[in-house]
Amino acid sequence: MLGLARTYFRLSALVLVGTLVLSACTGASQPAASPAPSAQGAPVAGGTVTIPITADPTLNPWSPNAFVESLFINRAIFEGITKPGKDLAPAPDLAESWTTAADGLSWTFKLRSGVKWSDGKPFSADDVAFTFNDVVLKPELGAQNRASYAAVKSVTVVDPNTVRFDLSRKFAALPSFLAYNAGIIPKHVLSADPLKTTSFNKGVPVSTGPFKVEKYTSGQSVSLVRNENYFGPKPYLDKVVFTVVPDANTQIAQALSGDITIMILDNKAAVDRVKSASGLVVVSRPLVQYYWLALNQTDARFTDVKVRQAFVHAIDRQAIIKSVELGYGSIANSPITPALAAYYDPSLASKYPYDPQKAKDLLAQAGWKAGTDGVFQKDGKPFQFTMDVGQRGVLEPVNALIQQDLKKIGVIVDLNTMEWNAYIQKDVVRREYSATVNWWTYPSDPDVFPYYHSSAAGKGFNIPGYQDPKLDDLLVQGQSASDLETRKAVYKQLQAYTSETLPYLFLWYPQEIDVLSSSLKGVPELGLRDSMHYLGEWWLAKK
Amino acid sequence: MVVGQEVTRFLLQRLALGALVVVFASALTFFFVNLAPGGPASVMRFDVTAEQREALIKAMGLDRPVPQRYVEWLGAALHGDLGSSLLTNEPVATRIGDRLPNTLTLAGSALLISIVAGIPMGVVQALRRGRAIDHVLSLVSAVGLAVPVFWLGIVLILVFAVSLNVLPSAGVTSAASDTLADRLAHLVLPAVALATTILPTVVRFTRSSTIEALHEDYIRTATSKGLAPWTVVARHALRNALIPVVSAIGALVPRLLGGTVVTEAVFGWPGMGRLALEAAQGRDYPLVTGLTVVVAAIAVCASLVVDVAYTRIDPRVRLS
Repeated sequence: MLGLARTYFRLSALVLVGTLVLSACTGASQPAASPAPSAQGAPVAGGTVTIPITADPTLNPWSPNAFVESLFINRAIFEGITKPGKDLAPAPDLAESWTTAADGLSWTFKLRSGVKWSDGKPFSADDVAFTFNDVVLKPELGAQNRASYAAVKSVTVVDPNTVRFDLSRKFAALPSFLAYNAGIIPKHVLSADPLKTTSFNKGVPVSTGPFKVEKYTSGQSVSLVRNENYFGPKPYLDKVVFTVVPDANTQIAQALSGDITIMILDNKAAVDRVKSASGLVVVSRPLVQYYWLALNQTDARFTDVKVRQAFVHAIDRQAIIKSVELGYGSIANSPITPALAAYYDPSLASKYPYDPQKAKDLLAQAGWKAGTDGVFQKDGKPFQFTMDVGQRGVLEPVNALIQQDLKKIGVIVDLNTMEWNAYIQKDVVRREYSATVNWWTYPSDPDVFPYYHSSAAGKGFNIPGYQDPKLDDLLVQGQSASDLETRKAVYKQLQAYTSETLPYLFLWYPQEIDVLSSSLKGVPELGLRDSMHYLGEWWLAKK
Repeated sequence: MVVGQEVTRFLLQRLALGALVVVFASALTFFFVNLAPGGPASVMRFDVTAEQREALIKAMGLDRPVPQRYVEWLGAALHGDLGSSLLTNEPVATRIGDRLPNTLTLAGSALLISIVAGIPMGVVQALRRGRAIDHVLSLVSAVGLAVPVFWLGIVLILVFAVSLNVLPSAGVTSAASDTLADRLAHLVLPAVALATTILPTVVRFTRSSTIEALHEDYIRTATSKGLAPWTVVARHALRNALIPVVSAIGALVPRLLGGTVVTEAVFGWPGMGRLALEAAQGRDYPLVTGLTVVVAAIAVCASLVVDVAYTRIDPRVRLS
């Protein structure tokens, strides 16, 4: 069955080419430009928006089984203490305002009053305390994202509209982290079994957002309707339906036939076909995400910074962006993405131009000698290693391109392609790998402590196992500084330092392509999953 | 009465044997899937720490040895409890029960299409052996056998849902109108796509067994008696020609169920095939085992039905 699935997914790229040719032959006429999505006009109420998801969601933001397909609905119905603002900085959600104590060891959040759950029961600080003290901070429950709150000791109810997060160390990014998949869940419904209540996770959960679940039909769809108890302005849309469509090509066909209102175009190869369709608009959106190549630091060959720098010079990243992302991305040289505009340092973008000769020079400086066959060697052994390839997204073609690039400078890479689940076990759980490509998506804050600090090497999210006291120091400084200017200065240093030392080899910052009906308005210029926090503002123009 | 006793004894024997097959399949699956690399999707996430993994493994009871877990599973299964899904915490029986009718509808429709279209096609080919129509239908069969279902599925969607806009592209029903007509409209494309996985085999079996039957002495006798050619074919040749076809169809049921995995993914059809794919990818051990048991039971039943059907078609076949 897995073999079948593998063949199926591998062939799907091929299929797309064939089907696009075919649809071009059979397809309807294709008018040129479509109106811009930000077309003016006063919002009107009514209508249904349909959004595809790839599998049945788990409607509980903290369930370890709430995978990426669950993010859409969970962000639409559950509200956090904060949410990502349209500039990605933390914005008020259930909290109106927040302050940190002078010593930085606690944060106090003032909650909105008069908020009700979708079942009419009042929301209060007790629900926030329950979500954290009884769910997230309970190690035996294994709640999703609990690692983000390692600095949180406990949450104290100050009064029904005020909560205080007490910390074991300074954590300036807490308001940003609370905006990231940290929806508050109802104590009065979930106190018995917070993460495994099926009638909630797979049924009709109780939530506080502008929409609530109307019906959950396993394998088919989840429909949302207005939450009559919502504290804010009444949302425009009558209904939002999430249909379960596992196949990416079927999703595209559904967008073309008008069955889908808005979707993420994961298969960027189809972008031209979609652009030429009438009634559809294609937009690109920023993501807080970057692709990287991890070189396992337990392998002595990779501990020399010159080797890591040589590899970055050797990999033609612009060519990767062009061929696998169709140009929707930019070169990365640090973990802070351009989407975090307040912190991102654009001057680093040209730090490592594609330069195979320089790569060879750097390898020579690191003590590697080119053999007669052109392959670098040291102590009589060729520079050869295996890259594990997880079968997901663009990873397979990217690895093939990197293999070619490294071969050109005299480094031999063998590719070991693996089914995703087995790949995670080998590379992430057991760390039994030499080199591997993957990506990180993180909360909209430059605090990348969990992915870089030496305490996370080997078992946490520090995949390469890179350990560096100076980097540790910068990471802690960033968490300790509470004012924006100080943080900007620290993270500018961190970007410069990581671009020089290359704990991971940074590859590129991807952009998301969204396809939407030209009648859909009010969608903010954020990644579609982030836009779910603003579903109440979406509206449909009358045709 | 003797015949009745014989049938009962035969059925009981076959059922006992079938039950053994199912238990054996469950044991094989349980051990293989538990020993496969990887683990439950909640554990094999990129963004999960070692500490969370340990807590989850313990909470799911996966820290205990596999043989012990199998014995416990089998004990509960014999009492009708197939355990709980690791991905959703719902009972496995509920998850399968939700999806089984959809898969049976889809697979049943595909089987019906294959029989209704395949047998006449095969007969026509046999009667017009070597002529143009025979070659054309052979070509159609060969293409049908060679074309992957997921490709055909997407093509069908692009032609009938996108370009012609006459049929829905995916799902079992429209959110707005859930009527029988709406459900049938949704069924057409996936059923046709799935039928192509077995239709060519049905056509070929029918063709070759009909050709064989047409060479039998009794056909010559019937023809020389002056019977109309169609009567000869329908009354005499087909009846014998169908015997190997029936057994082939029985053997095709597992292939049909395998085909649902891909068909259901392409057409967003909420059936067992898609559930099986999700369960395998997410290493949902109890769900994979439960699905295998159900599919094994279906396969056993299908072969039983074929055996019984044999005795109806061919009086020479005795139940023994």
